[in-house]
This record gives sequence, structure tokens and C-alpha cells, in this order.
Amino acid sequence: MSALLEVRNVSLAFGGVKALRDVSLDVNEGEILSIIGPNGAGKTTLFNVISGVYRPSSGSVRFEGRELVGMPLHRIAALGIARTYQVVRPFPRLSVVDNVAVAALIKERSLDAARRAAREVVDSVGLGRLAEADAGTLTLTQRKRLEVARALALRPKLILLDEVMAGLTPTEMDEMAQFVLGLRERGIGAVAGIEHVMRLVLRISDRIVVLDAGTKIAEGAPAEVISDPRVVEAYLGAPLAGV
Amino acid sequence: MALTLAQLTIDGLLLGGIYALSALGFNMIFGVMRVVNLSHGQFVVLAALLAAWAYSTYHVSPLVTLPVAVAIAFVLGALVHRFLLRRLPADTSSQEAVSLTLTFGLSYFLAGAGLAIFGGTFRAVPYLTGAFSVGPFSIGQARLLAFVAAAVLTALLAVFLRVTPIGRAIRATSQHLEGAMTCGIDVDAVRTFSFALGSAIAAAAGCLLSLVYTLNPEEGGIFTLNAFAVVAIGGLGSYAGALVGAAILGLATSYTAYFTNAQLSEAAPYVIFVLVLLVLPAGLLGRRTA
Amino acid sequence: MNRIALVAAVAVVAVLAAAGPFLSGYALAVVYQTLVYLALAYGWNIISGYAGYFSFGQITFFGIGAYVTALSVTNAHLDWRLGALLGGLVSMALALPIGAIMLRLRGPFFSLGMLGLAQTVRVLISSSEAMGGGTGIYLPVSVNPLVVYEWTLGVAAFAFAVTVAIDRSAFGLRLRALREDQQVAGTLGVDVTGAKIRAFLISALIPGLLGGGYAMYLTLVEPVSAFSTRLELQSIVMTVFGGIGTVWGPLVGGIVMSQISEALWARFPQAYLMIFGGLLVLFLIVLPRGVVPAIADRLKKRGGPRSFTPQAAPAARETVA
Repeated sequence: MSALLEVRNVSLAFGGVKALRDVSLDVNEGEILSIIGPNGAGKTTLFNVISGVYRPSSGSVRFEGRELVGMPLHRIAALGIARTYQVVRPFPRLSVVDNVAVAALIKERSLDAARRAAREVVDSVGLGRLAEADAGTLTLTQRKRLEVARALALRPKLILLDEVMAGLTPTEMDEMAQFVLGLRERGIGAVAGIEHVMRLVLRISDRIVVLDAGTKIAEGAPAEVISDPRVVEAYLGAPLAGV
Repeated sequence: MALTLAQLTIDGLLLGGIYALSALGFNMIFGVMRVVNLSHGQFVVLAALLAAWAYSTYHVSPLVTLPVAVAIAFVLGALVHRFLLRRLPADTSSQEAVSLTLTFGLSYFLAGAGLAIFGGTFRAVPYLTGAFSVGPFSIGQARLLAFVAAAVLTALLAVFLRVTPIGRAIRATSQHLEGAMTCGIDVDAVRTFSFALGSAIAAAAGCLLSLVYTLNPEEGGIFTLNAFAVVAIGGLGSYAGALVGAAILGLATSYTAYFTNAQLSEAAPYVIFVLVLLVLPAGLLGRRTA
Repeated sequence: MNRIALVAAVAVVAVLAAAGPFLSGYALAVVYQTLVYLALAYGWNIISGYAGYFSFGQITFFGIGAYVTALSVTNAHLDWRLGALLGGLVSMALALPIGAIMLRLRGPFFSLGMLGLAQTVRVLISSSEAMGGGTGIYLPVSVNPLVVYEWTLGVAAFAFAVTVAIDRSAFGLRLRALREDQQVAGTLGVDVTGAKIRAFLISALIPGLLGGGYAMYLTLVEPVSAFSTRLELQSIVMTVFGGIGTVWGPLVGGIVMSQISEALWARFPQAYLMIFGGLLVLFLIVLPRGVVPAIADRLKKRGGPRSFTPQAAPAARETVA
């Protein structure tokens, strides 16, 4: 039985800079894989490759056995891959519910049905009272919730969460962790990019991949990974468990 | 045939030099404010008409009118930014359309003002009508003078942008807005100054173009499009690119005018810039954003 | 509310259709001119308002429609309405490759690229003998202006109906999403390329259908009036005035601005450009989003659940999941 997502030997260079070198990883159904690494390690670039925004210079990305490289963005979304953006990108002049309805249209035929489905998701992330407000008027925390709501409305099999913890207060981080764990119960796979918050990484991850300067330097169960000397090195010698 | 080609190349490059100056002002405004100034060509044409009027009434050389036109355009540009553009909504999604429409309305206004002041007749400056002969080539004196003046002004501007504090602030703001703000640059003041300076440069180019072209107040759109095509071909925000783009555009105008007809040569800039952008979306020398 | 407005719109179309024969020559001309502007504005509003591709060159398709009609009437001796219909279809067919190329350009590049397209097509036609060159093609057919008026009314009503349909459809939502952010729209499952090309085709069909009527009305097609920058620009100004990307914006803007424009032209032909341009600038400073959104905001603020502002909202404290 092959994995839900198989990334094989993906490399990508911008000009002369190698953003990703020969990166491979698997994600199984309902599994939570965290990708950690310092800023600039290549996490966002990897998400952009998987979701089809960038085309890798070599390597392959397969989802349920289908090759994603070269496929247009919307078809990748239709296969069941959703993503959130590190820098939140709501459609500012659309209402919250319409922001989500855009994604819900992938399963619903009519606009009314999509709006109904969107409304449920909006309520479930706690934005119900703001459903009719323009997304441009939301606060940062509310925008983060909106990102998540749009991803969920696609009813994906896999969610790519780019820097999910960035900019959140400790309480909100706990809520987000709770949400990610909830995905596993619903059988949705998740790839979470996380920069620093090791406490949460250990709590939510089934497995961890460590990226450094575009290269995968470690992979495995959380406990193994944090004791790996190369990982400690990449984090400038700081004892990881204490971060 | 080879001689003709060489002659056309000389003419085209001389013309390109003046286009480059005009495009520099356009590029500066876009770089600092992200505004495509559709009234740019109107500043060019009104300055050219002022120069033509001064010449026909007082026999003043366009080079003498130039500083006056520059000063007027600078003040006008500063007022336009202070009282109009600065009041546009800050949210970026609608700002583009609104600033396009606003500068478009402004171009109507300026064209109308030009008609009221100068009338609708075409004007030219019959000044330095002779030509130098260099070997088998002939170089129009007026065209050469305009080119040299444009080259000098372009060089002065390049020095200004590198050496003076305000010049550096302009470059910093166009390269990285947030960075410029955190460095304590008064971005608002830089924008006003850039719009004023960009308009002044357009006026300078206009005075020089009066030596080459016969114009009336309604011809402004052509120069807006020329400046845009130059900048788009070279790469928005790239000053070196603007020089390359201007040379290409000057040559294209010169060749097509000879080999086809004057009308087709008007369309050459668009065809070239669309083709260039399809192959290189950031232009020839534009910065590519990852 | 909305339904009442729609019923009113249908009623207005019916009244205009019925009133045609009773209008004086001058009144007919004024209403006809307004209808041309309205239909152009609605056509432009789809690609530029809903999809956010600010085009300065949709007039290209108006010109193509006019020339196709003129050629089918003079060469193929078709009924002019068939020619005009053909003009619309040819415009749409040409818009497919044109859109596939031009829609890859973004922002101001697209805007001025389209302006360039209009100029290029105009210049090509001016230098073509078969198309009558700079003097154009005279149409030796006398057509009752009333019939042209009815045709144009039909096209305007069609443009309005299409806009209403798009505004309420999934397609409309997809267009508005890609207007805000193409990449995000794509990752949320919107076929961005397909949607914007479809919008472009509609925005080519409408001016394409109008062009033939215009040619018959003038009994002449020539490059300057067929690719008129003034028609293009005024229809844009009207839409921006009324409210870009809205159902009612082009209607409100079209009616108000064409009256202002007409009055200015009649009284101050010398200062027309200056006053029109100055008004546009002043207007943008006061109401940058247009009249219709401003009124809608006012209505929203007066009450109802939509009056919610985030500052006033207590932060939602429920858990994320």
C-alpha cells in the first residue's frame, strides 16, 4: 500500500540558489507530518511545489499514485489537496462566507449550496458572527481561521499548513494544535510547517522531517529526531526539547 | 541598402535617447508609487507646446524654455500628488484601478487645458533645421541637440539618484517600501517629490521633442504609451532596462516608418512590448520576484 | 428589494421598446447613444469589473463587429442584423486566441497591452485596401434608425441580463475570487485560466454585437469612429463612476454620465475635455468606489446584521475546530 502523498527527489533552484535539494518524503492517510527547520530552510517552497504553485526542476510528486508535477493548481485542489498560506491571503473584498464558498464550489454545483456548506464551516471555526463581513476587515487571528476554513471547505484528504503557529498567542497555538489533532480523527492527512514551537511539534506530530538549507537532514518519530545530532546542529546547538 | 539601414539606425538611436528621458520620469513614478501615470504624455506634450509657442512668439530656443517648463511641471506634479493621488484609498486591491482612472481623467483635463491655452493647431519649432554630414550620413542638428541634451539630463539624474540623500531615498522606496519606512524615510514626502520630479522630467523631454515632432494638445496619449512601452520592454523599475527599451523602441519606430508607413510605425511599440512581455514577463532587465 | 429592481429593469426595457416609434429624431438619437454606452459599459464590466482585468481595448471588438457587418452587407448582401450577429460571433471567436495571449499579462501590462491591441487593429485596417483604408466603407443601404435603436436596446438588455446571471452564479464568485488573488483562487479549486477567458469572451461578444448597429446608424465604417477611444474611455468612466463590478453601477453611471457629457458637449464644446476630465478626478477623490457601492454601504450601516465591524466585534473565542 503506497502512501497518500509521495514526494521523490524534488529539487528546485531560483537563479543560482538551490531552494530544495533532492527532498523525498511520504505522508499517509490521517497522518500528521511536521516539517521543521529554521526560516529559509525551504518549507514554504516545498508547500508551493506540492500544491502546484512552483514546478520543481527535477523530481516527482505523487498523490494517490497520480503525478502532480505540471498539473494546474485547480486540478490539484480537486484531487483533495488544500493549503493555507503563511502570510494569510483572504480575498479582501469578498465576504467571509464567500471566501469559503469559493472553495466549497469544488464539491457543490450551485452557488446557494456552496454558500450553505461554507456557512457551516465558517461557524465551525468560530467566525459565524462575521460571516457577512468583508474579509479585508478581519483581524490577523480571524484571518488565520479563515485560511483554515477555506482549506476545510475543499473537503481535502490532505492539508498543507504553512507556518500554522506563526503570529499566534500561546492560547491560540493550543487551539490550533487541537484543531490539527482533530484532522487525524477525520482521516485527513496533514503536513504542518512549523518554525520554532517544539513543545507543540512533539504533541501533534506522528513523524517529523527536518529541513535545513533545502536539504532533508533528518526524518522519523519525534523522539528520534530531536536527539539527532545533525538536528541539534541545525538549531545552532540549542537543546531542542527546551525551545 | 546597408547605408540606409545605418542611417535609420542613427536616427532611431537619437530618437531613443529622448524616449529614454521621458520614460525615466514615468519609471520613477511607477517605482516609488506603483502608479501608472496615464497623464505622463500630457506633461510631455504641454511642455513641447510651450516651447513651440515661446519660439514662435519670442524666438526663444527650446533649451531656454526647458528650465521654465521643468519648474512649472514640478510644481504642478507636486500639487497633483498632494491634493489628488495622496487621497486615494490605501487598500491595494482597488488602488490600481482607481489610480489608473484618476490619472486618465487628469490626462483629459490637461489635454483640455492645452486646447484652451494653445488651441488645436499642430505646432513645431523650426529651429536648427540644418544637418551635419558625417561621411555618407546626415544627422539632423535639432535631433542631435535633443539627443545630447537628453543624454546629459539622464546622466545628471543618475548621479542625483545615487549621490543625494533624497535620490537615495527615492531608490530605497522603489526597491523596498517597508524597508524604507523602517529606515525612517518619510515615504509620503518622497512620493510627492518623485511625482513632481517625474513630471518635470516629462516636461524636459517634451521641450526636446518639440525640436523633432510637430504636436498638438491631443497627442499626449502617444507619449504615455511610448513611455510605458519603453519601461515595460526594459523592465519596470529598472533604469538600465529603460535605456535598452528606449533604444529598441527608437529603432523600431525608425525602421517601421521607413519600410512600412507612418501609421504602422505607431503600432510598433505595442507589438514589441506585448511580445517581449510574453517571453519575459518582467521585461528584459526587470527584477524577477521569486 | 432586489426583485423589485429587476422587475423595474424589465419594465424599463419594455417601455423603451414600445416608446421608440414615438420618439423624435433627436430624442431617439440621445437614447440610442446612451444605450450604446450602457451596453459597452456592461460588456466591459465583466472582464474588468468582475474579473479585475482593467481593459483599455474592448473597443477592438466593437470595431471588428462594425467591419464584419459592413463587409457582409456590401460584399455578401446579407441582412445587416445577420451581419451584426456574425460580427458578435467573429469577435468572440477572435477573443479566444487574443485572450489566451493577453490575459497572461497582469495589471497595467494587460491594460495598456489591450490599448495597444486596439491601436494595432485600427492601424492594420486603415492600411488595408480591402477594408477601405483610412476613408472606410460607405454602406449604401438605408436603414430606419428605429430598427438600429431596437437592436441596440436588445443588446443592452442582453448585456444587463448576462450581468445579473453572472452576479448570482458560481461563475461570478469565481471571477471575483480570481480578481482578488489568482494564485489563492487556483489553490482553492478555481480554474483561473478557463474562467478569465470565458469572461473575456463575453466582454468581446457584447461590443461585437453593438458594432454592426453603429455602422448602420452612421451608414459608414471608418477606423477612427469604429475604434473610437472616446467611446471606450467614456464607457469605462461611466462604470467606474457607478461602481465597478456591480450589477447596477454601469446603469447608474451610464445614465448620469451620458447626460452630463451630452450637456457639456452641447454648451461648452471648447472646455468639454477639461471639465469632463476634472469632474472625473474630483469624483474619484470623493467616491473612489463609485456611487452604487457607496449607497449600498450607507444602507448596510443603517441597520441589519451586516453592520458588523471587526472593531466592534468581540473576538470570537470558540475553539478553532
